[in-house]
Amino acid sequence: MKTFLRIIAGLVVLGVVALLAFIFVPVQRSAPATDLAADWQPEPGQGEYVMHASDCVACHTSDEGESMAGGRAIASPMGTIWSTNITPDKDTGIGNWSYADFRGAMVDGVTPNGTHLYPAMPYENYRLMKEEDLRALYDYIMTEVPAVSNKVQETKLSFPFNLRFGIRAWNWLALTHEPGFTPTSSTEAETRGQYLVEGPGHCAACHSPRTAFMSQDGITASDESFLTGGVIDGWNAPALRGAESAPQQWSTEELALYLATGRNAHSAANGEMGLVVEHSLQYLTDEDNIAMAAFLKGIDGADVDLPDTIAAADHRAMEPAPADAAGEATATMLTEANPDISLGARLYLDNCSACHFVTGKGAPEIFPELAHNALVTGSETKPLISVILNGAEVPGTAKRPMTLRMQGYADRLSDDEVAELASFVRSAWGNDAGAVTAADVAAVRAAGAGH
Amino acid sequence: MTDIPGLPSRRSFLKASAAGMALSGLALPASAQNAPAPVPLDQYQPDYLTADEWAFVMAATARLIPSEGDGPGALEARVPVFIDLQLAGDYGTADDWYMEGPHDANAEPARGWQTPLNPAEVYRQAIPAFNAWCEETYQAEFAALEPAQQDEALTALQKGEVGLPAEVRDFFTILLANTKEGYFADPQYGGNFEMQSWVYIGFPGARAAFREWPTRHNVKYPLGPVSISGERA
Amino acid sequence: MARQEKKKDVVIVGLGWTGSIAGIELCREGLEIVALERGHDQSTVPNFEYPQQIDELKYGVRLKMMQKPSQQTVTVRRNDGETALPYRSLGSFLPGNGVGGAGTHWNGLNWRPQPEELRLRSYVAENWGEEIIPEGMNLGDYPVSYDEMEPFFTHFEKVAGISGKAGNLNGEIQEGGNPFEGWRSEDYPMPPTATTYDSSKFQEACLAAGYHPFPAPAGIASTAYTNPYGMQMGPCNFCGFCERYGCYQYSKSSPQTAILDALKMQPNFSYRTESEVLRVELAEDGKTATGVTYWDHKAGEEVFQPADIVILSSYQLNNVHLMLLSGLGEAYNPLTGMGTLGKNYAYQMNGGVSMFFKDENFNPFVGHGANGMCIDDFSINQNDFGALGFIGGSYWRSGTFNGQPIRNMPLPKGTPSWGAGWKEGIGEWYGHAMSIGSHGSHMSYANNHLDLDPTYKDKHGRPLMRMTFNWQDNDLKMNQYMKSQMEPLAASLNPDVMQSGFKGLGAQYDVRPYQTTHNTGGHIMSANPTQGAVNKFSQTWKAHNVFAMGAGNFVQNTQYNPTGLVGGLAYHTVNAIRTQYLSNPRPLV
Repeated sequence: MKTFLRIIAGLVVLGVVALLAFIFVPVQRSAPATDLAADWQPEPGQGEYVMHASDCVACHTSDEGESMAGGRAIASPMGTIWSTNITPDKDTGIGNWSYADFRGAMVDGVTPNGTHLYPAMPYENYRLMKEEDLRALYDYIMTEVPAVSNKVQETKLSFPFNLRFGIRAWNWLALTHEPGFTPTSSTEAETRGQYLVEGPGHCAACHSPRTAFMSQDGITASDESFLTGGVIDGWNAPALRGAESAPQQWSTEELALYLATGRNAHSAANGEMGLVVEHSLQYLTDEDNIAMAAFLKGIDGADVDLPDTIAAADHRAMEPAPADAAGEATATMLTEANPDISLGARLYLDNCSACHFVTGKGAPEIFPELAHNALVTGSETKPLISVILNGAEVPGTAKRPMTLRMQGYADRLSDDEVAELASFVRSAWGNDAGAVTAADVAAVRAAGAGH
Repeated sequence: MTDIPGLPSRRSFLKASAAGMALSGLALPASAQNAPAPVPLDQYQPDYLTADEWAFVMAATARLIPSEGDGPGALEARVPVFIDLQLAGDYGTADDWYMEGPHDANAEPARGWQTPLNPAEVYRQAIPAFNAWCEETYQAEFAALEPAQQDEALTALQKGEVGLPAEVRDFFTILLANTKEGYFADPQYGGNFEMQSWVYIGFPGARAAFREWPTRHNVKYPLGPVSISGERA
Repeated sequence: MARQEKKKDVVIVGLGWTGSIAGIELCREGLEIVALERGHDQSTVPNFEYPQQIDELKYGVRLKMMQKPSQQTVTVRRNDGETALPYRSLGSFLPGNGVGGAGTHWNGLNWRPQPEELRLRSYVAENWGEEIIPEGMNLGDYPVSYDEMEPFFTHFEKVAGISGKAGNLNGEIQEGGNPFEGWRSEDYPMPPTATTYDSSKFQEACLAAGYHPFPAPAGIASTAYTNPYGMQMGPCNFCGFCERYGCYQYSKSSPQTAILDALKMQPNFSYRTESEVLRVELAEDGKTATGVTYWDHKAGEEVFQPADIVILSSYQLNNVHLMLLSGLGEAYNPLTGMGTLGKNYAYQMNGGVSMFFKDENFNPFVGHGANGMCIDDFSINQNDFGALGFIGGSYWRSGTFNGQPIRNMPLPKGTPSWGAGWKEGIGEWYGHAMSIGSHGSHMSYANNHLDLDPTYKDKHGRPLMRMTFNWQDNDLKMNQYMKSQMEPLAASLNPDVMQSGFKGLGAQYDVRPYQTTHNTGGHIMSANPTQGAVNKFSQTWKAHNVFAMGAGNFVQNTQYNPTGLVGGLAYHTVNAIRTQYLSNPRPLV
């Protein structure tokens, strides 16, 4: 959602004058890719499942509010954007929407009165959803979600961002793909995974780069830049494909475990990805999380081994990994704990080695590895600095109920010290990322926790 | 500034402090570097102790852990500040303890703390009583005695030969315990100044991360301590 | 007029180990459950977080994790002739406080009792005759056998995440494990933790002496771990801050690492902190409970919480206190032997040897609470009670557990306790000492019991509980025997200096120095209502819908740390509630 701010910036590039040409031309809705019979009925539970897969709750629920009743505030320099009430309440929600209205919002980003939605709503991706799923989701919202009367504050951005017709121009650039899903994967599992990743999961919204106009560069698997990594509000959404992709080094099972629980032998999901795990992925079947993992693993053509289930064992002991060849020198130096080590190394021993160990390998499913970790070595240093200062949290899930929290070190470490420490971990164990400055740290510290 | 009678001279105190600084090197975190230098002990304004009590605690702790020899003494470690702050806090007032009556202060020591007084009150009542004993025995209050006499007086106090009232008979026990606490506690409590006590014995403080060390048999752990606030030595 | 809350199926009193176990297992039956916890809520982060937790003064000395005596305490006397005086400041034992209870601040030593310990009276009678049982000793059998308990021990070890090495797998003795333990159906869930220098020296000496060393069974994770609830532990880094501390590393077995987040996710479970239960309310016929009345500290008022089942899972002392106050049985009378509540209060008989090696480095701060190698060669099933003249035994252990200098500064005898000599001594000896501990059984006696104090009251106006307790010759003889056997072993290590600390005959109970928080008995299990307060399923004989969990169930204390038996009994009890009680609520025995 934070992408949106940059999308808006892209809009300006188009210029207001060009927009005037199509302000008054009526908006058209795309036709369904599949025609369903009027009496078509979803399977029991299908709509709720699609809702989870599409992660509606995360954006359309405020912190203290009822589920999907909207009102979540997204602060921006242009003003606050308020997510809408999508419960079937007739006055304040979408209770009066026909299916065609609903479909128009999901596929074309257009409301019943023709107003364009801000593309914080990922209709670029939902556009790929199957007609059956859209119908099921609509049915679910209309018949099973309790109507909540909650008048959400109207989003009022300042000029020119308040001119929603501008989005129409943007849509001409962004919505070049036809509605509906086009499978390109070779196996049944990978095809299912492709669908979930491209469509409801809207992974590309964060993990694909953006064009000059800030639309997603790579929406489907046939696009070369699809899931090659994006940057959102100073955070790297890591590449999920390619030789440089850390998740591509994981097994399919590890990848699936990460999706279902937010943690695996290498990494832990915090920030935006933590929310995706918490509100969406943990509710999917093992089969679907494995399917997505299989699709991602196979996206560059690798053979994929499919695990049967995720986290099946009754209990499990997992030895922490030893240092790898690239990390051995660092591990040995830290083990010796010689008083004349560098300040960065000393700070690592004083603050980090307890959990992440001298190996930088951490421990499976609980302490993320720092060696070759995308967050540690990312082009953006804000995430690493933020984690050191403010800590991090991995939400509990049904399969792994424990909320894993790392405490922050804002009170214990000065800006200089955080810079030394961050620079150390970015260059230890064979990590090869640039140094961090005290000014970088000061900026993140000034922004405060939660950014 | 005048030297307090019976205490190590100001010069030796400064010398000890300088040694402490040398131990901690230049590795202080920015937070500590920016912190103002603590006031010298003889200018310290106690939170709880009166001037007489402060003089006593300075003199007594200076004998319980003297400055001579290797390692910091109680004064270099600023133990008196620790004791003052503890007595001013919920330890001094025994907030966590069951203090309802009836009390049997004469109960056998093995029955535990039975005086109606809290630790702060024990200091308040015991110090003048002990000073009175010193006056009677040495014709001077404790702080004014020569170190050898102070040691003798403290020994008598420890052995229960001073004849303190039952309500304060545990005074020496808590004075010694509090002195050692102040010597070894994290510096945030006012003592263990610059972690000199930890450096002296080789305790790494709040590092609490030694996964590689259990199997390094008979190898002395080499790295100096870190405090809770991140101070390094 | 007390506020009344909506009725629940189950009310749990105390959210520590046994309360958490009851909560999560009964939640799975679909019951509506509320847990009432006297203390505050606490989670690994922020409550135990690094570096604030690494504070010896606050937690090790000022005991800020513990129950405050101002909040709840007992009075203590050593025999019926003395006037009991309040345990005003903590010393000898340290009950916990807050969510997780004592399970947050323990050392992590997780043992099963030996099979013989659960049928000790019969074992003694069969081998030496009842005549060797001393006058005044209430020696008993547990009404459950080791074989019945084995699956529950195993399950608790999986939940709690225990590291160790089996010595007896289904009757087959395993090299490197404890050959004298009861059989195990499975090996430990995690391998043993690393061996520190002192442990390896002890191990070598034991092997040379023909003993059978094995790694201590540790509720301390040697690897990353996931338990049957999906809960997780991180590998221990030997920081040494276990006992008296919450673990910042997710490494110590505790309700927080093993159960609580999974429990809090259950929609039919809720819990209220700062809710101190004052009494269990009985129905008019006195045969069942109707719920509990508690003090809501936040609202400052009494609240009645009705429930169909009451589970007492507070600390042993507090469970017994609550039962005495609520009339859940008759108070024990040591003169007549009648009554059951407060009966068989027992403790632990410990001793040890310290050894000083001026040229060797032990890095005493590198360790954990359950670190070390042990032997069971002097344990209950290895001792000839008839020949030795006592009933009991101990396990020995050597392993660094904390090197925190305020409390852990062993110095050779003769070193001054203050002054220049003390300062020189700490510089010379810190880091150059190791120790062997003997952790011994404690039998039950008519003299040692719990009842209500006639004089002292708590903040709610309730009488404090009175503990009558003193050391008894049988256990002191056992301790002296351990001294006689341990000293030669210690001497075989050729230390520069060594010294022993074992209580001898005539020792009187001193409440000041810390000894152990293994307070047991008081609502003991029994085969019939005249002998104890609860049956083999921890169901009170008095009211069939009240279950009392924990070490209060111990007929006499074992030679081991109690948590393994407490956890096993909790699963045994909950299993009985699930499979036998819910379908037909009644006395199960």
